Amino acid sequence: MTGPLTDIRILELTTAVAGPVAGAVLADMGADVVKIEQPSARGRATSIGGPPPREGAPDRPYNRVPFYNELHRGKRHVAIDLARTEGRELYLELVADADVVVENFSPRVMGNLKIDYPDLKLVKPDIILISMPAFGKTGPYADRGSYGPGIDAMSGLSHLTGYVDRPPGKPANFYCDQNAGLTAAFAAMAAVRHRNRTGEGQYIELSMLEGELQVLAPALIDAAMNGREQMRLGNRHAWLAPHGIYRCTGDDAWVALVVENDEQWAHLCTAIERPELANDARLATTEGRHEHQDEIDALIEQWTSQRDHHEAQQLLQAAGVPAGAVLDVAEVHGDAHLQHRGSLEFREHPEMGRFPHTRTAWRSRRGNHGVSGPGPTYGDGTDHVLRTLLGYSEAKAAEVESAGIVNRNPLPG
Amino acid sequence: MAEAPGALDGIRVLDLASGSFGYAGRLLSGFGAEVVKVEPPDGDPVRSWPPFLDDEPHPERGARHLHLGAGKRGITIDLESEPGRRLLRRLVREADVLVESFDPGYLAGLGLSYDDLLEERPDLVMASVTHFGQDGPYAQYRGAEIVSVALGGYLKLTGDPDREPVKPYDDLTVGQAALHAAVAILSGIFHRDATGEGDLFDVSAVDAALFLLGGPAQTYYFDDEVTMRTGTRLLHPNPRFPYPSTLRPCKDGYIHAHQNYRHPDLLAVLLEDPSVDDLMDMPMGNADEIDRRMDAWLANHDKFEVVRRAQELRLPFTEVLTPVETVKDPHLEDRGFFLEVEHPEAGTVRQPGPAAFMTGSPWRSGRAPLLGEHNGEVLADWLGLEGPEIAALRAEGALG
Repeated sequence: MTGPLTDIRILELTTAVAGPVAGAVLADMGADVVKIEQPSARGRATSIGGPPPREGAPDRPYNRVPFYNELHRGKRHVAIDLARTEGRELYLELVADADVVVENFSPRVMGNLKIDYPDLKLVKPDIILISMPAFGKTGPYADRGSYGPGIDAMSGLSHLTGYVDRPPGKPANFYCDQNAGLTAAFAAMAAVRHRNRTGEGQYIELSMLEGELQVLAPALIDAAMNGREQMRLGNRHAWLAPHGIYRCTGDDAWVALVVENDEQWAHLCTAIERPELANDARLATTEGRHEHQDEIDALIEQWTSQRDHHEAQQLLQAAGVPAGAVLDVAEVHGDAHLQHRGSLEFREHPEMGRFPHTRTAWRSRRGNHGVSGPGPTYGDGTDHVLRTLLGYSEAKAAEVESAGIVNRNPLPG
Repeated sequence: MAEAPGALDGIRVLDLASGSFGYAGRLLSGFGAEVVKVEPPDGDPVRSWPPFLDDEPHPERGARHLHLGAGKRGITIDLESEPGRRLLRRLVREADVLVESFDPGYLAGLGLSYDDLLEERPDLVMASVTHFGQDGPYAQYRGAEIVSVALGGYLKLTGDPDREPVKPYDDLTVGQAALHAAVAILSGIFHRDATGEGDLFDVSAVDAALFLLGGPAQTYYFDDEVTMRTGTRLLHPNPRFPYPSTLRPCKDGYIHAHQNYRHPDLLAVLLEDPSVDDLMDMPMGNADEIDRRMDAWLANHDKFEVVRRAQELRLPFTEVLTPVETVKDPHLEDRGFFLEVEHPEAGTVRQPGPAAFMTGSPWRSGRAPLLGEHNGEVLADWLGLEGPEIAALRAEGALG
């Protein structure tokens, strides 16, 4: 693997989504990332349901979990029994030669296993440890467990997402986890730079909630400074209008658009073949359009409902109106722009074949972008860890394996 | 100013990103980089975005500007003028990083493309962050948050199955694009320090929305299944998959209910209803009935009590909080998360603190700059200019 982070060694003790995203982004940039799991396939088992084995590949369903392989692209995998003294010692030998450890276990696990920051510092004084607890390691909620959607609830994102006439909603999937994972990758790089300049490692505590509160800042500052309780707006905007999604021909087909200024308003009136609206004094300003948005929305939908959502996008954009089809995931796969950018990058997985990964959102002039490799199969990093990183003899490596301290195949559990 | 240096101490950033794209520079400033926000003479449009202190429109009192501008110094440069362009080039000589969010081609049209700027600074790390990226069929499209989140496939997955899709709150994908840009910029610094070469990053908000999708991109490819929106439920096609993960009403508000994957029997304990256990052989298959049982119990309990009891049992429930509740939340208060920042025009601003606690290289809070506040200071610091030279730049219109 090459890239800007070549030679940076990351040990990842992670679960769920946020921690794995951090490691995946670092691996994308060329870091040597070893995913360490306990010797069961539990982390994968909850989502087993991948495609059937490809011809000639062994039937190991835990190696064919699509989302797992997406989240662990470019990493090596090793299973170590950290609950056993020998497993812990082996792990600490790895730490002695590592740059960064990323963990997102529930709050007390690292302490219980005696592999928390002070333990790591004893074997590697300049180690960087990043913990990604849901709410932080201190404070009244430190011991609370939560997954991403529970954090969206506490951040206010649920309260502010959804329909005006319905209870709070939830952004699709994993906003909180992806945000925390990327932020952790950023913090890891910043800390490595700091260590390279000062010789000092550090402990980084990344509360997923506090990472997410960055995006809520306008509503939070409004609450603190004006005492205002902002409410969810559906597809509308606090001050711009029109702003929303509009029904097109076909089932569940929509086009999104917004008018941000008077010029775009004139463009929209032309696009929807209602040029006389541009002369309507009531609608000449942003404030006026906001006030009359029910009326405007109905007129827009008269036009969009006669058209396919891709056609509506093209006509609106050609007229100079910010607009885009509301794509489903099949359309995303086929979208010409995303294909042009290579936003889905295909890699060959040893047991799944061609596999689509979603790239990080940048392309680099020097090619420092994209996915460095496929997801790992269970235990595929065992030799790398025992022979290359730890320098064990063949005999010693075999001994560690036969004692069950590391496993090449998952135990039931 | 006696604060210890941040992790990115010594990195100089020219931040020409506008609106919510300004989060890239905010993250860099929070981690200790020296960020100078470069604005047109009439200011970044973000200064005109509500909400404002006391709801009075004022370019120094917008909530978003106060947050995203924090820790940055501010200068104005008129890039539409030749003296302004010359001044930017001089500043680029002293910069490690430039981040911008103009429409593709705008800077090149002014003779300020990446290649032009390399003449001043051969190892410049630059990030261009836009809705669609610099090339491709949509590159010249008009961009907006609702458009990026729609084209990235994320909007259609948000909302209830019986209703239209609904856009997630605010500028979420623009903020994510800015976060990707910040990560890319640091990778560029690593590359530069190793090789002496700069790099140019082309970052897109549509790609950032796609990155948020998670599993559906793979599910479609392997199972030919088009994932659809599922309201507040985490849905799974396997009826034996754990449930609940959803939002439900309670006596005084809403809670997020989530199963303990290892101990599905705990839900019956919380609900004081042993028959709930009978539903746990097929939790996802029984989701509607599980919701009904939860609602019956939740109707008699308030949200803080529900969550306290559930968490005591190791069920990962949480409260649905509102912004007014969050800014007073005792946990965040105990951690000192919110910072009280003094601002000359906005007074004491209570605003979000660190995106991450770096115990060895602290977060730099700081405040947002006034428009053009540091024109003289930055020109003196970066270029060594003195009063008369700065006055001359002013007179020729470089600063607007």
